[in-house]
Amino acid sequence: MEHQITKHGSRVFLAILIILTGWGLNSCYYDNVEELYPNPPTCDTTNVTYSGTVAPIMAASCNSCHSTTSASGGIITDNYDDLKSLVDGDRFWGAINQQSGYSPMPQGAEKLNDCKLAKIDTWIYAGAPNN
Amino acid sequence: MSISAQEDTTSVKEETKYTSSFFETTRIVLGQSIENPEHGKLIFLIQHHFGRVNTGIYEFFGLDQATIRLGLEYGINKWLAVGLGRSSYRKTYDGFVKAKILRQSKGARNMPLSVSYFGSIAINTLKWENEELENYFSSRMAYTHQLLIARKFSPSLTFQLTPTLVHKNLVRTIEDKNDIFATGVGGRVRLSKKLSLNAEYFYVFPNQIVSRDYDNSFSISLDIDTGGHVFQLFFTNSNPIIESGFITETTGKWTSGDIYFGFNISRAFTLVYPNDVW
Repeated sequence: MEHQITKHGSRVFLAILIILTGWGLNSCYYDNVEELYPNPPTCDTTNVTYSGTVAPIMAASCNSCHSTTSASGGIITDNYDDLKSLVDGDRFWGAINQQSGYSPMPQGAEKLNDCKLAKIDTWIYAGAPNN
Repeated sequence: MSISAQEDTTSVKEETKYTSSFFETTRIVLGQSIENPEHGKLIFLIQHHFGRVNTGIYEFFGLDQATIRLGLEYGINKWLAVGLGRSSYRKTYDGFVKAKILRQSKGARNMPLSVSYFGSIAINTLKWENEELENYFSSRMAYTHQLLIARKFSPSLTFQLTPTLVHKNLVRTIEDKNDIFATGVGGRVRLSKKLSLNAEYFYVFPNQIVSRDYDNSFSISLDIDTGGHVFQLFFTNSNPIIESGFITETTGKWTSGDIYFGFNISRAFTLVYPNDVW
């Protein structure tokens, strides 16, 4: 009895291993962004505005947690006045750049890409105007 | 097993004594330990940590933020376990299998080590960063393969080596490797019947992750076994909780104080009472 169970068990084990390996190899890809998307859009940091540039980035990556109605950590990014006071308050740039000593944002997601950060940087450098 | 051993021979035959209780639970801290859920047992696991302690009093040393993984794992038989989980980090779903290959034993069969295989698939379900591109579902997936090689040197000391391969279907640049090799070392020192001190470190071999910053994951924990539950109170520099994340995507540095405080809670439920108790 003992031997039968052992024999049976090892067969099942082998079958599972073969199936898993097969599936694993089948769904395995060796892609990279540079080759998969060879013509990245150029990063245009001219004509950066709050309404046209910054607000859409906030809407896509920040407002789901930091809206006026549910402000995680008391932080609000879905309107100009609150975002401006955040930018002036000095923790904003460290957080979205995921620097040491800051809470890396967006939390649990990829860091904003270089182009988005460059646009936000341009806007802050211009004095974070409400335009 | 003991019955068949007695039937086999009339003379005094040495029995195989398998080593057990390498670790308190199925995790050393973040990483897998050699332990499987026992046959017929379902473990409900809450893995949770707060934000970085160096964010200071304004963020209440990280307690304003949390990263969590909820998981279920089940021992299908005495050598095979499966698990499912969902982490808040990159809204990731994961599934895994964990199979015992060798068991440390003494007596009739002498085996110096226990060895298990661990394999997992993780699927990131964040919205695509750029929806105008042709995005592929395969780009969301990452795989982890590990050998868990453990030895219990004494009732109070266990050591584990964890050679690891993480495969990512999509990486950023040509220079970044899709297959990332790493190795983990970890262990447990038992302080008392109820308390253990665990530590683990994952070393990523160099020149594989090129386009972004990463740091090796190091975690320490205090395990408290209350009988029904195991609590693990830990400190780590890793924000992700699943293998493909904390091994290759850790960005915090211990030296800068990018340390997360957290705890795992695991609770075992008996679903099936196996006849063959071991």
